[in-house]
Amino acid sequence: MADNRNLINAAKEIVSREDVKYIIGYKRGTYGFQIMPAFAYNSKDVEGFIFSPLCAKNLTVYPMLEEKLPLKRGEEEDKRKVGIVVKGCDSRAIAQIIQEKGLKREDVVLIGIPCRGVIDSKKLEKMFPKQTELADLEEDEEGNYIITTNKTHKVPKTELISDVCRSCEYPNPVIYDVLIGEKIEDFKIENFERVENLENKSLEERWKYWENHFEKCIRCYACREACPLCYCKECMVDLLEPQWVRRSVDLSENTAWNVMRAFHLAGRCISCGECERACPVNIPLMELNKFIEKEVKEMFDYTSGIDTEEKPLLGMFKPDDPEDFVL
Amino acid sequence: MDSLILLKEKLPEMLAEIAAKFTLIGPKEETGFTQFQELDDPSEINLDYLLSRVPPKSLVFQQTETLFTFTKGKEIKVETPKVDSGKRIVFGIRPCDARGYDLLNPVFEGRKEGDYQDLFYVLKRNRSTLIGLSCNEPAVNCFCTSFDDSPASTKHLDLLFTDLGDKFYIDVITKKGEELIENLSKMFSKASEEDLKARNKVEKTSISAITRKMNTEGVTKKLGGMFQHEYWGQVAMRCIGCGICTYLCPTCHCFDIQDESTLKQGGRIRVWDSCMNPEYTHHASGHNPRPSRMNRVRNRVYHKFNFFPRNDGVFGCTGCGRCIDYCPVNIDIINIINDVEEMK
Amino acid sequence: MTEDGTMTGEGMMMGENAYKPGLAKIADITLEATGERAIKTFKLEFLDEDLRKNFTFKPGQFIMVSVLGVGESTFAISSSPTQKGYIEFSAMRYGKHTKALHQKQIGDILGARGPYGNSFPVEKWKGKNILFIGGGIGQAPLRSVINYCIDNRKDYGDLNIIYGARTSKDLCYKDEFSKMAGMDNLQVHLSIDVEEEDWEHYVGFVPSNLMRLKPSPENTIAITCGPPIMIKFVIQDLIELGFKDEQIYTTLEMRMKCGIGMCGRCNIGNLYVCKDGPVFSWDQIKDLEGDM
Repeated sequence: MADNRNLINAAKEIVSREDVKYIIGYKRGTYGFQIMPAFAYNSKDVEGFIFSPLCAKNLTVYPMLEEKLPLKRGEEEDKRKVGIVVKGCDSRAIAQIIQEKGLKREDVVLIGIPCRGVIDSKKLEKMFPKQTELADLEEDEEGNYIITTNKTHKVPKTELISDVCRSCEYPNPVIYDVLIGEKIEDFKIENFERVENLENKSLEERWKYWENHFEKCIRCYACREACPLCYCKECMVDLLEPQWVRRSVDLSENTAWNVMRAFHLAGRCISCGECERACPVNIPLMELNKFIEKEVKEMFDYTSGIDTEEKPLLGMFKPDDPEDFVL
Repeated sequence: MDSLILLKEKLPEMLAEIAAKFTLIGPKEETGFTQFQELDDPSEINLDYLLSRVPPKSLVFQQTETLFTFTKGKEIKVETPKVDSGKRIVFGIRPCDARGYDLLNPVFEGRKEGDYQDLFYVLKRNRSTLIGLSCNEPAVNCFCTSFDDSPASTKHLDLLFTDLGDKFYIDVITKKGEELIENLSKMFSKASEEDLKARNKVEKTSISAITRKMNTEGVTKKLGGMFQHEYWGQVAMRCIGCGICTYLCPTCHCFDIQDESTLKQGGRIRVWDSCMNPEYTHHASGHNPRPSRMNRVRNRVYHKFNFFPRNDGVFGCTGCGRCIDYCPVNIDIINIINDVEEMK
Repeated sequence: MTEDGTMTGEGMMMGENAYKPGLAKIADITLEATGERAIKTFKLEFLDEDLRKNFTFKPGQFIMVSVLGVGESTFAISSSPTQKGYIEFSAMRYGKHTKALHQKQIGDILGARGPYGNSFPVEKWKGKNILFIGGGIGQAPLRSVINYCIDNRKDYGDLNIIYGARTSKDLCYKDEFSKMAGMDNLQVHLSIDVEEEDWEHYVGFVPSNLMRLKPSPENTIAITCGPPIMIKFVIQDLIELGFKDEQIYTTLEMRMKCGIGMCGRCNIGNLYVCKDGPVFSWDQIKDLEGDM
């Protein structure tokens, strides 16, 4: 694909730079429609990079995962830059982390790719169960996905696109060093209708709804690890002195965990949907996050991860902040 | 006992009887996935599934278990909680998950005379009768055949039901299974030669539909010389430490113990834990033997394919494929072991 | 075996809850080291009379002590099995549980279960000289063997103790070392890491003290315990001095939760420190592939 070639060339140029350690991009996975995050250290490694609507993973989780290991004698810390391939939402994560001073702008080199939405892997699996052989998926100009297994299939985009992508307002990366492809016009399909459904429920219905889901939580913390913005060195739930959330897996502690995490992401979540994708028991986490995102917009007129110079929402105070909840 | 036949239309009757006499546990449909739960109403059972999301190890190795309770005050009392003793019939468990139970036995029941036993596991295991359900078709990442096992294996179960279309073929394997059949009303008939042929055909079809294979020839020895290899760093680079592989694995058994109490009373609980957490082996002194993801991923692969075989003689993997299905970054254990085999 | 099924010294029988501790009263507390990393030695007496009389263990084994409601930690039993009716352990104040432990008073009740792990093969060592090399609180498990050898003095040859800590305030068991001063064929060599006023003995790290003293490997067993880095250097130095792999023993430590080989946390390679250890001879672990 033309875009793939441009992507590989740009990546080759960047990875050959002296001041770049490695680039993180997408490569084909080990079976079916899988895509795996790949680390390229030289031009040869970059050859396998691809980009397609299958590339749902948010790669910006990696810069904050790097461990600072004790150095051997005479060894110096490798402080070179990290290159990352980012979609629109992913770049917002980087912008938000820079806002919070978790990263410096010069620590990363971003290859931005305007994105028309990624697929929902659960819906794809339903449509093509047992797909063991490697398969491909591309988007055509008419709003369909062309899927190549041992045959070719054409499926309307709306049947497979991820829910979060339907309400996407930032298909183009907000910060980047190189842009691959043309910027995309806004293509938001609808407001996040699942939030509207929730809003229409009564308080009691909502509580029952969430009780049902939180009962299934197995506290694997995959949502936290997959989220690029959950990068606290010591998560509140791991602390022992004092212990905020008990380790027992029951409704009370599960609710505490999920609600506290949603609140810690208020004004920070950039709607990449990784948490919901990672959850093994299908808890609709994006509903929580999107709900809070809506309230944040209404109360403070703030959108996370747009401007790296802006101050983080809950880290600053403006005299005209709403205070109708203050008695 | 000879093999039996149960007509499919009679299954609800059998399940209802089991639910009335004992406790029935079976696969139930949740929001888009299947999970093993206690069923008061046997019609809730859903046999139209390939693999349960959370493996049924949660039935014998509960996620949250109270080890003992205590009361403080003038006199401190410590008490073991009462464990239920009624019979539990687990219906519809897959042969690979049942194999997982056998792999948990050396851990919780001890390996030799004088070893400690986990009371809670032993009691739950002893009161469970396992009725398996053969897999008529494998899932994408199934590879139980790589471990000398089969989708219709009778090795680890008490009874095995194989779906022949309009009826079930029942292998009666252990005394426990026999006792259960004898306890139920006469709704079974003897299986014929024809039935046996049909059952074997189902097994054969299922086996040939499994496409993914893991080559495990001599892998324990091969891994023994590879501990410092740079391959582990490469594989672990993309691991995000989410721990889903450990929570959904039928043989992972790591747990944490914590005290929970109020002023007057409390208890000590055991909860599942994951070796993929950075804090897992963190000493109070600050030293951490597994400081990076490379150490942890390597430890996990070695635990299943080197440490466990060296201690207990079998691979610590059942071939269910859940870790491959749900890993968000496509870390594929089949590929890893096959890569190891191909290395010089 | 007590009536309510709590721990005895000999191992489990069917139907027992391996996680349930026996209750023990704190009979005495000795403040060994002061400061940020304070060390206290606790003397425990089981409340149950049978348990108190019959609890037995071998030198090198450990117990899991808990402050009920706070947590549980692993401690090496630092008294000798020849001392009947009580057990002692030493705890450094580090985290949530040990902080709660250090606030306990004489007479308070703790939970204790054990003994777990393997032990030093003291039977095999009869007739040999024993060299003890300890650092900081690593001296605790060694003290169990030292007292055992002193109580069975005729069975063992020369006893040499090389022990050091960071400062004189961090040295443990100072009173006991003074008492050992007059004993036959027993030498104590103390050291601290940094120069101090009024310090008459060696100043330097424990491995350097070892190389300065150059003990002979002839018919000698060497046991070492301390911070991981100290163990590494001491073993290197012992090999340089001519000690064979089978003559060198150590006791290792890992974060533990169950103590009985089930929670999977304390493994080094395929060995569990709580079941196959904590005592290891160097030839057992020198080629061990694992994260230490």
